[in-house]
Amino acid sequence: MILAAAMNPEAFSGAQDAIARVRRGDPDALTAMILRYQHRLYRYLLRLAREPAAADDLFQQTWLRVMEKIGHYDARRNFESWLFSVAHNLAVDAWRGKRGESRLDDVDASDGRESPGALLRTGDPDALERLLDFERGAVLAACIQELPVIHREVLTLRFEEDMKLEEIAEVAGIPLSTVKSRLRRALEGLRAAMDARSPGRKGV
Amino acid sequence: MSEHEASRQAFHQAFHQAGADMLALAAAGALDAEEQRRLEEHARECPECRRELEIWSGYSQGLRRLPQPAIPAQLMERTRTRLVQERAAAADRRWDELMLGALALFAWTVGLTFWFVARIVTGGELVIMGANLVRFGTWSAGSTVLVWLTAAVAALALGKRRRELRRVL
Repeated sequence: MILAAAMNPEAFSGAQDAIARVRRGDPDALTAMILRYQHRLYRYLLRLAREPAAADDLFQQTWLRVMEKIGHYDARRNFESWLFSVAHNLAVDAWRGKRGESRLDDVDASDGRESPGALLRTGDPDALERLLDFERGAVLAACIQELPVIHREVLTLRFEEDMKLEEIAEVAGIPLSTVKSRLRRALEGLRAAMDARSPGRKGV
Repeated sequence: MSEHEASRQAFHQAFHQAGADMLALAAAGALDAEEQRRLEEHARECPECRRELEIWSGYSQGLRRLPQPAIPAQLMERTRTRLVQERAAAADRRWDELMLGALALFAWTVGLTFWFVARIVTGGELVIMGANLVRFGTWSAGSTVLVWLTAAVAALALGKRRRELRRVL
């Protein structure tokens, strides 16, 4: 946070101002904050929950909790880490409640923007390469779904949210060494799942 | 073989065995500077590890380009509605608590006033079933129970009416 403030003081003070307005109960500031983080937060929750309906409910609960707890937020902490840790705790509570039930259904991993058929119909010379990318991504996404939730979490935080290891530790409430070991196991598990789908293939 | 060459080979052999765990972490950018330097030094000499690094690098790139989920329709609106409802419910809870406190204070003041009046009217003695009701202890115990019950019922009734009014408006 201190580093962020030093590197981009205007953005830092803008974020702090938005947080202060949310604290005062300004509904427009809260709406702006939800809009700003909705894609990232929903994606994170979907990777964890796998089921869109569960991610949807967790998303709403997260913002209710943010509104309730924003008064206790320590401005010296990274807001994004705090926001994701709120979501993490709610997901853990939900998961504990469901533990023992059957596994959740697989998530539809399509992005809603492109489909394989649509890619080929465009006549774009790069369409085939993009189609292959799409399929590789879909296979990789399907393999991620097979991993345990703690491994899915570190993968999305590291590679999709681009969080530092220290930030991941803060979100998940675990030591740095555990983040590293989870990341390694998650990647190895992912590779094993990919190998199991395509035994002859090396890599993605 | 020179001593330097033997030492170099020993390093690579040892690193090749012990450093396998580091390859995946290197792709995740999770090694510290010294670990990264040693791994790169080893990979320059070891085609097997270099190939492994390339494979892990492919995973890293793939993970950064996963298909992105679409936000469900009206998620933003549903979230805002829920926030507004929760805010109203929290305001109602605060109002109920405030009213309960205010009504209890009012009822207790009334009870105390009546105690003074009852003492004057009865001359300090009103015995019913063996208990002197105008004794401070008996009066305050009785009136406290009565006060809180009355205040709670009144606060709940007022709160209910307030919520009904909000629904109509």
